[in-house]
Amino acid sequence: MTSKRRRFVALVSVVAALALVVTGCGAKTDGGSTDGGSTKATEVVIGIGAPLSDGAVALGQGMVRGTNLAVKQANESQELKDLGLTITTVEGDDKGDPTTGGNVATQFTSNPNLVGVMGHLNSGVTRVAVKIYNQGNVVQVSPANTAVDLTQMGMANYFRVCATDDVQGPAAADFAFKTAGKKVAFVVDDATVYGTGLADEWAKQFEANGGKVAGREKTTDKDTDFKALVTLIKSSGAEIVYYGGIYNSAALLSKQMKEGGVKVPLMGGDGIYDPEYIKLAGAANATGDYCSSIGLPIDMLPNGQDFQAAFEAAYPGEAIAAYDAYSYDAANTIIKAIVAVAKDMGADKLTTTDGKKAIIAAVAKTDFEGVSGQVSFDAKGDTNNKAITIYQVGADGKWAPAAK
Amino acid sequence: MSLSYLLEQTLNGITLGGLYALVALGYTLVYGILLMINFAHSELFMLGGYVGLGVLKLLSDPAVAEATGLGFLEPIQTFFLSGTFGFVMLIAVTFAVSAVVVGILGMFIERFAYRPLRHAPRLAPLISAIGVSIFLQNAVLLWIDSKQLPYTRADGSAFVQAQTAFNVGGVEVSTMQIFIIATSLILLALLDTFVSKTRIGRAMRATSQDREAAGLMGVDINSVIALAFFIGPALGAIAGVFNGMYYGSVKFNMGFIPGIKSFTAAVIGGIGNLRGAMLGGFLLGIVESLASGFVSNAYRDVIAFIVLILVLIFRPGGLLGEAVAEKV
Repeated sequence: MTSKRRRFVALVSVVAALALVVTGCGAKTDGGSTDGGSTKATEVVIGIGAPLSDGAVALGQGMVRGTNLAVKQANESQELKDLGLTITTVEGDDKGDPTTGGNVATQFTSNPNLVGVMGHLNSGVTRVAVKIYNQGNVVQVSPANTAVDLTQMGMANYFRVCATDDVQGPAAADFAFKTAGKKVAFVVDDATVYGTGLADEWAKQFEANGGKVAGREKTTDKDTDFKALVTLIKSSGAEIVYYGGIYNSAALLSKQMKEGGVKVPLMGGDGIYDPEYIKLAGAANATGDYCSSIGLPIDMLPNGQDFQAAFEAAYPGEAIAAYDAYSYDAANTIIKAIVAVAKDMGADKLTTTDGKKAIIAAVAKTDFEGVSGQVSFDAKGDTNNKAITIYQVGADGKWAPAAK
Repeated sequence: MSLSYLLEQTLNGITLGGLYALVALGYTLVYGILLMINFAHSELFMLGGYVGLGVLKLLSDPAVAEATGLGFLEPIQTFFLSGTFGFVMLIAVTFAVSAVVVGILGMFIERFAYRPLRHAPRLAPLISAIGVSIFLQNAVLLWIDSKQLPYTRADGSAFVQAQTAFNVGGVEVSTMQIFIIATSLILLALLDTFVSKTRIGRAMRATSQDREAAGLMGVDINSVIALAFFIGPALGAIAGVFNGMYYGSVKFNMGFIPGIKSFTAAVIGGIGNLRGAMLGGFLLGIVESLASGFVSNAYRDVIAFIVLILVLIFRPGGLLGEAVAEKV
């Protein structure tokens, strides 16, 4: 009995010690910012919600790169120095999973200095997270959510800088039917909010054009075995396969299709617009595959050259992924709102509830020329910039704008 | 839907079933002897895929020789890259190294994570197994990559061409499918003979029937258990390499779904029974493939688990669970 009690006491003291360490850590970071207060600098935080260990990791890493680049440039600007303001970022790994995304959102909103969130990648994650941000009066700007209904949920704090499935899906379907001349399609999606929405919109438009959808199937975003599906596609006589989902599974589907004798192109949405897609499928298998992506190619944008130069200076040797530029624009949207509110109300008011609400209002009035084009929002929070580009994997094993 | 379509889907299913059977043996072997479910087994399957990829790259990817600057790799790679003999040796060495490395790792796991808990309540080693599983996944995530890696050389060329090889009466068969089915059947037959015919096999069966009595009769229990923890993971590793070659990628959490499915296969066949695990593996593979070919891909897991439930309702011990008195 006494030994049991002693063990209990030991356990309690360990827990207490741990608690001290944890709170000690918390106090330290806070102390850090107030220490910086000797120069009267206010520190606000932008959260980056992205898949970093699971899901579309390559795209998530790009989101971190784009945001950090924008924040770094902002912190170096005279404007922020004059305001006595520093912006830092914190990463939240949502793993492309709605449940984990909810946890990330709770973590973010419990940080009093966090005034905005750049993210998330997956529409399904946002559907959960946006409500939590809304309760915490935190503005969310997504570089990548394409599910149509996200801006119809009545969340005043939600904005996105990318066009949606009802723009992207039909544009790609038109291309497949009219430009590429494909008449029979097989449509597959990964059963996520993003994949299903996109595939449905694509199929609807393809049929409206007079094309035939020979089959409609679902997989999951974690599947790697498509052998049975490939045999089914082969027997359907499809001339093109549309896949609503992200590059991980899309690449394996393309690879297994070509290996299984289905020599027709695969088409996907912006979720497969990444060099990783070609690497995973193998260049020989991916050649000829299509994808749609939002906006114009970076080198065709007015500010694309500047962004490319800044990117190469900040991340030498790394390739720009699908959302680096959009994340950069999304982050700048938040940064510009923070600056506007800081000028209006004073930097020290930023982290108050009123300050956070003012930031949301300021984001709604955004209007600047970003890398992806003019960034401004309609009343629902959707971008007014709805350009879509179709890309194709060329013989050199790289994505390039498809010939019209 | 023609007959050749049915045959092609069945062939897909047998191939998948062969992989399930190889992994299921690891679950059933350990369960037969220790009455414990080794939840880290799916991670050993995953590690097998990674070790195989590493060996293949080291021995046959010129880009690796260049990047590492190891001069002695070049003549080795020239040997493995030249001709049919070199190719066969490359494949053989890859499977051997992957099986041995992962097998030894399996023994380590048993020694340090399970043996200290052998006399603890049965829940304790189970939790320990889950811990090992999480540890291994995160180790790969942190030390190797969080991304899905292609099972190819740096220039994107495949180690084994999985292209359609020939056409038998309208049914397309690939070399990779034949390779997987043949290898799994041979390994299953070898293991079955080993357990039923050899002296060590008899020791394994004895240990499974009554560990204490076997110990009193002079069977070295610890080495029998260690052996089971070598063979199971080694077979799992071979399945992992096949999985990478056949489906084309590896990822740190790739073991989870095949692990669950293989465990299901072992239960369908009667957990603890070797032939049951094989039967269950092939059955599950074929059911899944036909379900996605004829019903809907979205329902394949639903149908697979309905089969499990039906088997458990009508034969709670699994298909072969009661017919054979001996476990293992």
